[in-house]
Amino acid sequence: MKVIIGSGVVLALLAILPSIQYVLAAGDSTGEYLDRRVEIWGLFYRLMIVAFTVGTVVSGLIVWLVLRFRESNPKAKPTSYEESGSW
Amino acid sequence: MRNQGRGKMSGHSTWPEWVYVGVVVALLCYVGAEAWNIERIIEHVPEDAELIKVEGQQWLWTFEHEDGTKEIGELHLEKGKAYRFEVTSKDVIHSFNIHDYTVLMDAVPGRINHVWFSPNVAGEFDIQCREYCGLIHYNMRGTLIVEDKGA
Repeated sequence: MKVIIGSGVVLALLAILPSIQYVLAAGDSTGEYLDRRVEIWGLFYRLMIVAFTVGTVVSGLIVWLVLRFRESNPKAKPTSYEESGSW
Repeated sequence: MRNQGRGKMSGHSTWPEWVYVGVVVALLCYVGAEAWNIERIIEHVPEDAELIKVEGQQWLWTFEHEDGTKEIGELHLEKGKAYRFEVTSKDVIHSFNIHDYTVLMDAVPGRINHVWFSPNVAGEFDIQCREYCGLIHYNMRGTLIVEDKGA
């Protein structure tokens, strides 16, 4: 069930987000003069913010996982599988 | 013990993972939509844009204005006007690049590619080939001269 709901959310996002962008941008972009530099570099910086944010979160999560779940962590305790010795 | 906890290997809630996946997917959607949208906007040429035919060949650039004026290695444009370029090549693949104005388009033999821009700063700017095209590729350069209106 969760997989179905998750897939539905993903598909909805894939369909809805581009549509919203299209609707919002359609009115003000018809052949107007614009500065390519501003548009292209602006896009670049926005995407770099996303890329570095994702990179920070992912690497931060990995560092936290490695430190938190190392065997030598005082808070570490064996999983139920390890305790019972079978899984 | 197999399948203990109705298929959950970890034995704990998996919602954080799903939130994490959702956030990443949403960010990817944002990246895709934003890039697509900007590309769409900058490809939309103003109606009054003047046509300039650009032809690359080893190792120089030739420009032809709408009125038939030809220039080699130099391109004179008027500040504040829009120009659309039809870019092609005589021999091998080149790439027409005006770095200061973020203009970049491949020049391919037998094919016409389009790009447009509107210079908003007067002065001299470099034109260069951005695709390795042979021995003297490094020196396949030109000069863009943007002049104030009426200059």
